[in-house]
Amino acid sequence: MDFDFLQPTDLDEVCKLLNEYKGKVKIISGGTDFMIDLHKDELSPEIEYIIDVSNLRDLNYIKEDDNKIIIGAGTTHNEIANNPIVNKWAPVLAKATNSIGSPQIRNRGTLAGNIVTASPAADSVPALLVLNGKVKIKTSSTTKEIPLEDFFIKPYQSKINQDELIVEISFKKPPMECKSGFKKLTRRKAVDKARLNIAVLALQNNIDEIEILRIAPGSITPTPERFEKTENILLNKRPTKELIKKAAEQVSSTMIEKSGYRWSTEYKKPVIKTMTRRILTRVLEVE
Amino acid sequence: METLSLEFKVNGQEHKLSVTPNKRLLDVLREDLNLIGVKEGCSVGECGACTVIMDGKIINSCMVLAGQAQNSEILTVEGLEKEEGKLHPLQQAFLDAGAVQCGFCTPGMLMSSYNLLQSNPDPDEEEIKDAIAGNFCRCTGYKQIIDAIKLAAERMNRQS
Repeated sequence: MDFDFLQPTDLDEVCKLLNEYKGKVKIISGGTDFMIDLHKDELSPEIEYIIDVSNLRDLNYIKEDDNKIIIGAGTTHNEIANNPIVNKWAPVLAKATNSIGSPQIRNRGTLAGNIVTASPAADSVPALLVLNGKVKIKTSSTTKEIPLEDFFIKPYQSKINQDELIVEISFKKPPMECKSGFKKLTRRKAVDKARLNIAVLALQNNIDEIEILRIAPGSITPTPERFEKTENILLNKRPTKELIKKAAEQVSSTMIEKSGYRWSTEYKKPVIKTMTRRILTRVLEVE
Repeated sequence: METLSLEFKVNGQEHKLSVTPNKRLLDVLREDLNLIGVKEGCSVGECGACTVIMDGKIINSCMVLAGQAQNSEILTVEGLEKEEGKLHPLQQAFLDAGAVQCGFCTPGMLMSSYNLLQSNPDPDEEEIKDAIAGNFCRCTGYKQIIDAIKLAAERMNRQS
């Protein structure tokens, strides 16, 4: 595979090049997906230019203002997992990014990379979905922001156009009293893709009623999404074992509704049910 | 395909090379600089045999395009030896604890454990396991490697 390697020094130049070489260009950042495609000779033959954004400071930051947490697209999984702001406001994201790959992969792989690949099993995505994350996308002339849940089209395909670049991921700070959890099931402990993963964020009032509940299971639907029907089973109620059981069963049946009956369904059906039950029991502290 | 002028520091030495853009950092280290301690195992970022330290962080050199290493500082297993012929305490401990069998994973293991001991001179077993989670060994079952890292930490702490 032959290509020219371009290393722009700022974001405007990246967008200009994306526009100029539209369709013939691909972005590399952490490279943890790109380099596999390169090795397997699976990059599109139309690619003539590679733009490296891995050293762009414009894309590497974690900031907070009064309402929001804002993460630069090129921030690595390890930078996110170890960041005090993220750990304070969104431990669910710290946990999810810390579960990705290996230390070597987490030192290179980036948040935008994990999103843009549009893998149904991406670990950061369920966490960002329960945080109601938004993706900021730039071209040479426009900037727009779309909710993460609207970003995916189908497995490995997102709404990003050839002249567009993800520049930022942001989410509103959840109320400080929120509780959350992330759970991932893998065949081995490290360096493995999720067979199943799930993120939960919840807020209960002083009489234990659930005021906020967001549930996003991963790896069970073509594109990751929040399971609002399941959330509604528990919303505005005091959590009980029975309600949680009902919610867990609902996740399982929604999976089949959305993904059909697949070769893995026999396995995933009981396992996602159990994972949902366990994580809800823990997060909602039901005895 | 235009060649790329790559300037970077490897094991303390400045290099300026002309490379084709589709080369990986791994290829440049092995083929252009003859640093064959850097091993190619899976080529897809899973096994950690090609682990080197880039700007203070462990990375898989098969996952980095050569051009991405522009102006960086790289440390490979060849750079662990401080004086000619004198092994780094980690290397010595790997020998003494029987942590080297076929030896293919050893350079990568050494870089991950070196990186760990730089920031955490007295790691417990869980911290050691986390640090080498991205390095596969198919011979030892990891026990001897974990023992070796403990032994090296002990010896290095005694020395300082």
